Amino acid sequence: MLEAPVIQSRGFRNVGDGKKLTGFQVPVRLDYYRGVWVSQLRAATVTVDGETFRDAQIAWTIAGQTVEQSDLAKRSDLNWSSMEPALLVVRKPGGLVPGLHDVSVAFTWSASYMPPRMDLSFGERAGPQRRRLVLVR
Amino acid sequence: MSTLTRKEFLKAGLGAALAGTTVGTATVASAEGAKPKANAGKARSYDGKALQARKAAAARNPKAKRGVSLYSYADQLGMTMTLEDCFLDMYDMGAQGLEILANGHVENYPNPTDAWLEHWHTLLDRYEIIPVEYGHWVDSRMYPGRELSTKESYDSLVRDIKLAHKLGFTVMRTKLGVTDEILTPVKNWREFIEMALPVAEEYDVRMCPELHQPTALKSKTVDDYVEFIEKTRTKHFGLNIDFGVFQSAEARLRIPGMDNPPSAPEDMIPLLKYTYACHAKFTNMTDALIDDTHPYDRILAVMQKQGWNGFLLSEYEGKNREVPGYASDQLRRQHVMMRRLLGEV
Repeated sequence: MLEAPVIQSRGFRNVGDGKKLTGFQVPVRLDYYRGVWVSQLRAATVTVDGETFRDAQIAWTIAGQTVEQSDLAKRSDLNWSSMEPALLVVRKPGGLVPGLHDVSVAFTWSASYMPPRMDLSFGERAGPQRRRLVLVR
Repeated sequence: MSTLTRKEFLKAGLGAALAGTTVGTATVASAEGAKPKANAGKARSYDGKALQARKAAAARNPKAKRGVSLYSYADQLGMTMTLEDCFLDMYDMGAQGLEILANGHVENYPNPTDAWLEHWHTLLDRYEIIPVEYGHWVDSRMYPGRELSTKESYDSLVRDIKLAHKLGFTVMRTKLGVTDEILTPVKNWREFIEMALPVAEEYDVRMCPELHQPTALKSKTVDDYVEFIEKTRTKHFGLNIDFGVFQSAEARLRIPGMDNPPSAPEDMIPLLKYTYACHAKFTNMTDALIDDTHPYDRILAVMQKQGWNGFLLSEYEGKNREVPGYASDQLRRQHVMMRRLLGEV
């Protein structure tokens, strides 16, 4: 089962290449009543303890596939289900220190059935999501 | 004494209720069975005998029937409720049909596994539910900065028509992209809908845009849909009326620079013959078991007088949807109201 907050605690951990830590991942759920095509997504920003990451510093993992943020608009073949978390994989050599972290995430997506001025309103209206999380490893 | 959870209690009750019935006999075939054929309406059916019988009985029933849109559970599904929990709720209320939102509720959409399809058909039979309406979108702004072409929109429709059929649905809530504040659909809607009509006929589904406030029932948008239906004489494109069009003035959406007055229930009369499902929108069922901003007594009186016998699919859009159990309680209240107004009790 998903956790109610957009930012999920299960899955919040460092990632590495087998030799050293290359960054960390933040799992998020889609707070929407349906899934979206990845091309509907707009680039996310992640802030941890005041340090903000954006653009090429972040890649998404959706349904097991990794998508760079610059490629989101091309992936109209990949669907992100509102029932499955996506991972925001953040590049930060050395990763994060195990312990408490203040995490903030912002992203949005298009909704073609809304008036054009409200195309991106769902994620924008919700604003940045914040949660204090424990990183164990 | 141990305390049964609500779910365990329901399951215990259902176990008794279902004794002697056959469960999970739906025939689920692999994807290759769904190849288009030249014969209209001859696409392979995935329905098992039990589902065929339920659909036939519903079609013979001259009264409007109660169902639920899983939209109502959006803030619980996947967090505190599984898909099966929603079926348990529906069974317990005596709801006979459901609407899903395909890209929200079909695992691995648009390519569910055979195992998931089998699970789906098992749930339908176990809880005696008819798959009524398949909610899907033509996401015209799917790519940043441009609208989908007519061919891309058609391809999107065809993909969903085939999947809807595979899941047993016969009505599709076809949500179109819009171009303005009153939800005028994209300019090329006629072209891609007309292209898809033979496919919808082959797969026995009806594509229905949703008439949703601030679109009024008496409006150019609705006139255009009716004109299209009458010109093409199609039985595979129709309407879904969302009862939010009747919501009282003080509770309606505020639209900058324009009024958004309620439609009258009587405005449905010329549209009902093209209406294949309705969204029974509601926002606040009181302890008196009325929805205080939607005139259900007048709405259902018109429908009954006109002899409309489709499905009323409950859409809860009120407060506290994030509170576990709240939407379920609201749905139960609404279904008591509908049972009373439909003469079931």
